[in-house]
Amino acid sequence: MYPLTEIQLVLMNPTGLHARPASQFVQTAARFKSKVQIIAGSKRADGKSILNVMTMGLKKGADFTVSADGEDEAECLAALQALVEGNFGEG
Amino acid sequence: MVGIVIVSHSAKVAEGICDLARQMAKADQKILPAGGMADGSIGTDAFKVSEAIQAAWSDDGVLVLVDLGSALLSTDMAMEFLDEAIRERVRVADAPILEGAIGAVVEASVGSSLEQVLSTAEGAREMRKII
Repeated sequence: MYPLTEIQLVLMNPTGLHARPASQFVQTAARFKSKVQIIAGSKRADGKSILNVMTMGLKKGADFTVSADGEDEAECLAALQALVEGNFGEG
Repeated sequence: MVGIVIVSHSAKVAEGICDLARQMAKADQKILPAGGMADGSIGTDAFKVSEAIQAAWSDDGVLVLVDLGSALLSTDMAMEFLDEAIRERVRVADAPILEGAIGAVVEASVGSSLEQVLSTAEGAREMRKII
């Protein structure tokens, strides 16, 4: 068994991972010590870099992987999962 | 938290960028507009810029984003009005004003250093819109 250090997520909020949701993602990731990456297809972004995350251009319906590496990786992934699955607080 | 100042020839542009950027920032993030002339006309006013820098000031410093041409000249002049201790911790980003501002406020809101906030704002130069 490998430790759980990555999760698969699907964007269901209307605007995808842009602007406000992207900033919420980055600010949530930044609360943790772990290194955070977003992987979608062949693209990979630093989950703590707003420009990196916005450049991914992930739209509604996109599925992507979030990986976390560090001492608080489980808590970090749980927080990011809650954010994405809660549609970033969008209606 | 690094403060952000938006210098534009238009008060509406500066205020609009601040409104938009605040949507991405933590509630206590300082983002101040310095747009237009004292009488509301189009232009940049060094005095307005220096006031905004002082209002955005904390020991973490201030990043200024400018639109075009004389916005930079007015910002340079505004620096002359500031105490040396403040001036040393003010940077002007060579960045697109809106995209740079969004990057900067998010970076500042997570508590990054002035140099990191500057680097993120300037990184917006490379950001592609159509991919």
